[in-house]
Amino acid sequence: MRNLWLLLQRNAFFLAFAFLMALSLMVLIQNDGSARSSWFRATGGVVSVVGNQQQQWTNYLQLSDQNAALADENAQLRSRILSMELSGAWREDSTNGWQVKTGWLVKGPDGRPRTMALGTPGSDEDIRIGTGVLATGTAFGTVVDIGDHHARILPLLNTAGTWSCRLGKNGAVAPLSWDGVDPNKLTLKDVPRYVKWTAGDTVYTSGFDLKFPEGISVGTVIEEVPEPGSEFKTIHVAPMLDLKSVRHIEFVQNASDSVRSALSQPIPAP
Amino acid sequence: MIVLRLVLLVALQAFILGEVAPFGNWSEPQWALWALLMVPPQLGPFLKLLAGFGMGVALDMALGTYGHHMVAGTVLGGALPTLHGLSAPRDGYEVTSQPVIKDLGVSWVFGVTFSSALLYHLTLMVVDTWHAHLLGQAIGPTLTSACWTTFCCMLLHLLVISPGRNVHRS
Repeated sequence: MRNLWLLLQRNAFFLAFAFLMALSLMVLIQNDGSARSSWFRATGGVVSVVGNQQQQWTNYLQLSDQNAALADENAQLRSRILSMELSGAWREDSTNGWQVKTGWLVKGPDGRPRTMALGTPGSDEDIRIGTGVLATGTAFGTVVDIGDHHARILPLLNTAGTWSCRLGKNGAVAPLSWDGVDPNKLTLKDVPRYVKWTAGDTVYTSGFDLKFPEGISVGTVIEEVPEPGSEFKTIHVAPMLDLKSVRHIEFVQNASDSVRSALSQPIPAP
Repeated sequence: MIVLRLVLLVALQAFILGEVAPFGNWSEPQWALWALLMVPPQLGPFLKLLAGFGMGVALDMALGTYGHHMVAGTVLGGALPTLHGLSAPRDGYEVTSQPVIKDLGVSWVFGVTFSSALLYHLTLMVVDTWHAHLLGQAIGPTLTSACWTTFCCMLLHLLVISPGRNVHRS
């Protein structure tokens, strides 16, 4: 502090001169248009150069953070691709009676909660109500109404549907639904609390709803929604593909559907 | 006395002699400079700086050229201690020395007056034109005006304080 005071004392005349000059220039610039324009032009150039230099330094210093974020994102994407490759797309298994008929969507889900999808063909190709619908080998929806040439499909992206799914190949079975908010987030409800999971785990169809064969991939686990005090937990699942951009579909139905449906009905009370 | 001289010269330049320029902008003398040059050389640098600044403020207020004479006066007030130091006699200034011909000689008075006038007019030229491409055509009138100011100041020296007259100590 003493040294600073001595320094100020030693340069007092220069400081007084600088102060008075600054005061004079300020008065001049405020009252003289020509001086003002020259001043702003000169200072604008300097400010621009300093700003550019500062921006370059900021970009350079943020490179490491951006690099780390990109590396994280890359790792997540690789993990997801690996998960998809491991799960694979479902293939026709005629030994269990499952048959596939190809078709395409006339109208797809648009991200609104109640939108139905419309596919073709219909009953002319022996498509029946309750038939499961796949898109590129993953679950898409189920036929709920049928016409001669078209079929109305209840897609995963509809709040009216509930789908029986399994967490992993041999994990717990829980109902999957969509809350109508985020098209990239489905909800697996009533999963027992003891069930272990990690982000990126695949969710498959259980086959218990008789619409799909078991083991068709539906999505991957994103996160768990905390529910303090509950015996069950809710898990968010990302769909395997963008359900709003689906074009080609496959109808899967079992040759003995009618028998299976009849046998799965509850026994009437005596 | 310094303040009185400054006020009188500023008033003289602003209200009477301001329009006296026989060759247009080639001869625009700054009469008030004489008051600043009459500041004794042995005074402290802060007083010279304040005197220069004060003269600039007074001139700007009187002439309506806000900032121009303030800048030039501050530059001259800041440079005056150095000018006095450079042109000081070998033994330095005596306590009673006044910046007049009788005390310090014609060459000292002329040298300091011309240097000061040149510096003042050059600074005025810069703040008046501001643009570098206009400075070239402004340098001629500036030099002649500096010569006119020197002439006027020397004339004032001879008229107001003749070499044979005792000077009132300020």
